[in-house]
Amino acid sequence: MKKNEPNWLMVLRTVMPLGLSYIPIGLACGVLLHAAGFNHLLTALISVMVFSGGAQFLIASMLTINAPMTTIILMMFFLELRYALLGSSLSRYLKGQSLPFIFTFAFSMNDENYAVNYLKFATDKHWKPKQALLVEHYSLLFWTISNIIGSLIGSALTIDLKVVDFALTALFIYMAIMQTKSRLIILVSALSGVLTIFFLVLMKSTLGLVVATLIASLTGYFIERYLMEHKPESHLLYKVHDPTRQSAMEESDE
Amino acid sequence: MQSVSSMTSMDHFWLIIFCAIVAFIPRFFPLLFFTKRAIPEWFNEWMRFVPVSLFTALVVKSVFIDSKYQIMTTGNLGMIISAILVGIVAYRTRSMTLSVVIGLVSVMVFVLVFHI
Repeated sequence: MKKNEPNWLMVLRTVMPLGLSYIPIGLACGVLLHAAGFNHLLTALISVMVFSGGAQFLIASMLTINAPMTTIILMMFFLELRYALLGSSLSRYLKGQSLPFIFTFAFSMNDENYAVNYLKFATDKHWKPKQALLVEHYSLLFWTISNIIGSLIGSALTIDLKVVDFALTALFIYMAIMQTKSRLIILVSALSGVLTIFFLVLMKSTLGLVVATLIASLTGYFIERYLMEHKPESHLLYKVHDPTRQSAMEESDE
Repeated sequence: MQSVSSMTSMDHFWLIIFCAIVAFIPRFFPLLFFTKRAIPEWFNEWMRFVPVSLFTALVVKSVFIDSKYQIMTTGNLGMIISAILVGIVAYRTRSMTLSVVIGLVSVMVFVLVFHI
């Protein structure tokens, strides 16, 4: 790393891989939001205000199936609840920051820039909260511009939505795989899949997703508690192998 | 999946505002509280299972359930194969972009070319 490189350039270089990866996903998201009836301005607004790939895809696909607003907001609540975990794990690096700083930081935090910042804080002791905030704002810029361009493309071309909609599925598969750190989590995931089919068919409503998520996650929590107390050697608690060994770094920090 | 939304732009505007609030609460308050005090253990442990349950539920819904909430028996083979492919790519590479791009290409080939 060059010593006299200006701060903005150094941070931009850190965020570049993430920024580039946002382009195809942001484009797909913009196309879908346009199909869901959002104009370009609303697409820009949601990209800045919500700033979450998963959430924006979900809103778009729920709007196209005419889900009621309350269901969409409830699904959003459960989808975004995971940020509580991300926020609390970053909090130790943000001790002593002012309330306006925490507010601004929380506003633009999402899965991906969290991953960049968490890794930076954990491995680089010179990494400052101000630089972390700049990472968030650069990623926000890449995301919003890609979404607006996607929205423009969507209004100019006819695109098979079934195909673009699969971007959401692919994104969630990726996020589920990244969460799979023990055998028990694989079991919980399978349970959630079965419960989802059962409750969606039974309730004929997207609320089935919420019920399946709650039951599966609570079951996982109680199984883990039981195993920790009674069978700490259980095979279910084994870690899942990570071929790229990325998670080894996060684990060692805890 | 065609656009049939009955909401107006004003509805969409309010939807964005509510979603932004719902998105902001779990990002802000834990960050604020836990810069001062410790995180309750049970919450942390439960939270470890919430994202994976939700993501799986969303994937299963889009691959196996149709818009009338019935189990899809035809027309989703391409999606099933693509979903497995994405899972393998995500596991091997841990790259979000590769997972999404390969998923899109795969589904394009199966749905638009082979019609399965």
